[in-house]
Formats: sequence, C-alpha cells, structure tokens
Amino acid sequence: MSDQHEELHQPAAMVDEVSEFEVLELAVRELCIEKGLFSADDHRRWTEYMHTLGPAPAAHLVAKAWLDPEFKKTAVTDGVKASLDVGIDWVNSMPTNFGTPSDYCNLRVLEDTPTLKHVVVCTLCSCYPRPILGQSPEWYRTPNYRRRIVRWPRQVLAEFGLQLSADIEVRVEDSNQKSRFIVMPVRPEGTEGWTEDQLAEIVTRDCLIGVAVPQVGKTENDKRPVRPAVNPYKH
Amino acid sequence: MSKPHYDREHHVKKATGIGDPQCFKGEAGPAKFKVGDRVRVKDLPDIFYNRCQVYTRGATATVVELVYESPPAEDEAWDNCENPEWFYSLVFKQKDLWPDYSDTFANDTLETELSERWLEPA
Repeated sequence: MSDQHEELHQPAAMVDEVSEFEVLELAVRELCIEKGLFSADDHRRWTEYMHTLGPAPAAHLVAKAWLDPEFKKTAVTDGVKASLDVGIDWVNSMPTNFGTPSDYCNLRVLEDTPTLKHVVVCTLCSCYPRPILGQSPEWYRTPNYRRRIVRWPRQVLAEFGLQLSADIEVRVEDSNQKSRFIVMPVRPEGTEGWTEDQLAEIVTRDCLIGVAVPQVGKTENDKRPVRPAVNPYKH
Repeated sequence: MSKPHYDREHHVKKATGIGDPQCFKGEAGPAKFKVGDRVRVKDLPDIFYNRCQVYTRGATATVVELVYESPPAEDEAWDNCENPEWFYSLVFKQKDLWPDYSDTFANDTLETELSERWLEPA
C-alpha cells in the first residue's frame, strides 16, 4: 500500500491549528467537570446556547431606535432595559442568571453623530457584548487589532474600508471593565420610509462594532484575510 | 486540623436575578468625582492582576459618566468583594495618550472606564 493511499484514508482535520489557550481551556474544563463544578451536559447546553446567539437583536435595537426617538433615549441611557424589547434579557439568561464573567449586565449603546464616530475594542483580551451580538469575529480578538486600533484608529479603520474626514471625531471605546458596548451608527440617507426589518438588514455586525457604517444595499460584512496556521496540526 | 471553609457561592447568591454589577449598587459610598471633573490616572504598582492599561497611566482625562459601583477587578480576582468602588467613564484626548498622534486629527478621543483608586484630581 502506498503512502498516498494511506493518506486518502485519513480523516480530514477539523481545524488547522489548536492553540495553547484552547489546550488550556480543555484542561480547565475537564478539571471543573471532574471536581463537579458543572457537568459535561451543562457545558454542552451552554455551548449550544452560545451558538444560537448572533447580531440580529442588536441590529433590531438600532433600527428600532432610528424609528422611535423615545426608544432611542432608553437605548442610550439604559441598554439592558432596551435589550428586553428585542428579546434579550441580560440578567435572566443562561448560564448564571446574573451575566457571566465575560458578559456583565451593563450594556452601553454608543450613539454616533455626523461629527462623532465610535469604534469598540478590548485591549485586554476580548470583552464583547455576546448576549446581543453573538461570538466575536476572530480579528476582533487578535493582538494586531487590539494594539493598533487604540493608537492608529484611522489607519486601522481605513484597512476596513472606512476613511473618515478630519472634522469627524473618532472615539475609540476600550471596553476593559464591566460595561459592554455596541455602536448605534448614523442612519444612512436613502432609507426614508423603510421598515424596522429593512433597516436591521443593513446594520451588520461590523457596523455594531464600529469598523463599518451602514450602506443601502450592503447587508454583509466585508471578508477579512484568512491567515495560514502558524503551527499547523500535522496528520 | 479542620479544612478551611470557603463560601464559593456568595457571589451567585448575591447576583442571581439582579445582575453584576447591579448587585453592588449603593455599596461604594459617595463618589469622589463628578461628571466634568479633570482627573489624572495614577501609576500604581502592577502587582498581580489589574485592568489599568499602561497607556493611560499619568494621562489626564475628563469624567463623562459615573457608570456603576463594583469591586475593582484587581480585588475581585482574589474574591475580595468587600470594598466596591465607583467606576468612571473617562474621555482622553488621543494627543494626550500618544505624543506622536497627528495634529490633523487633534479632535480624536479615547474612552475607557477606571475605578476610583486609579484616579486623582488633575
């Protein structure tokens, strides 16, 4: 039997690379299960729940606020309360009923204006409003984005295709305590008379992080470069 | 000798159904700073864990909001929840953080939150 034939019978790799942090997470998780802090079944249910989360509720929150000035006031002053109107209960939800160490219950909605543009980062690691925005994109967690966006925000935004003139104040929000942030962008022109669903479609995840602005006809995030694994797993 | 007993559930009991940081509301006492105050970030020693980014140390900022009360992360990391503090949202001029930041974009700012122990009047 040739080596090549042998290769054909190997199962395909599920991931290119397993990082040291993933190995650490596995080890800690198994210890927790062994010590009885939570069961393997708890972990499975939590993971499945996390995968049901996505940016749709946050997009609807923004669309609703564009349409209803009263709701906009609530959104800006009490994000947790406003989230209830789009079906997200920060407090009474899995797994703890008081938020989790990475999803404390203090959502702040950052309102952009024609002269102020917000962009969110967590320079410490990966704070992200998961209950209302789902899992963060890979680039959001990279040291590359975290280090550079605080120091060269305009250059990094330009890499995302967003070039802003000097009369617009760029405000970087470094979310490294217990507040979590979404950006409420300015409602674009050409959307007069649109319904909440139509508006929510153009409020993409990238708009809610602040690295993009909503555009008529654009309902998807731009593709980011995929870099090859540094230490590829050898099969 | 008996094994020491740690109450590992005190935080769960306190926060369930209320939320964190909401469960610490009213525990920090009167706030030392108010909205509009100018403050400087102290350069306290980095022993073990804290969340005060080095790039903010020594820089001056404006308080824009008193956001919540909570034990600071550097205490909470050791399960010490006995001394909650006020947390402030601070806005820095980018020029004050990065000396080489372009003058063309002198309006640019950065906002972040810090607890009271890290701040002194500027």
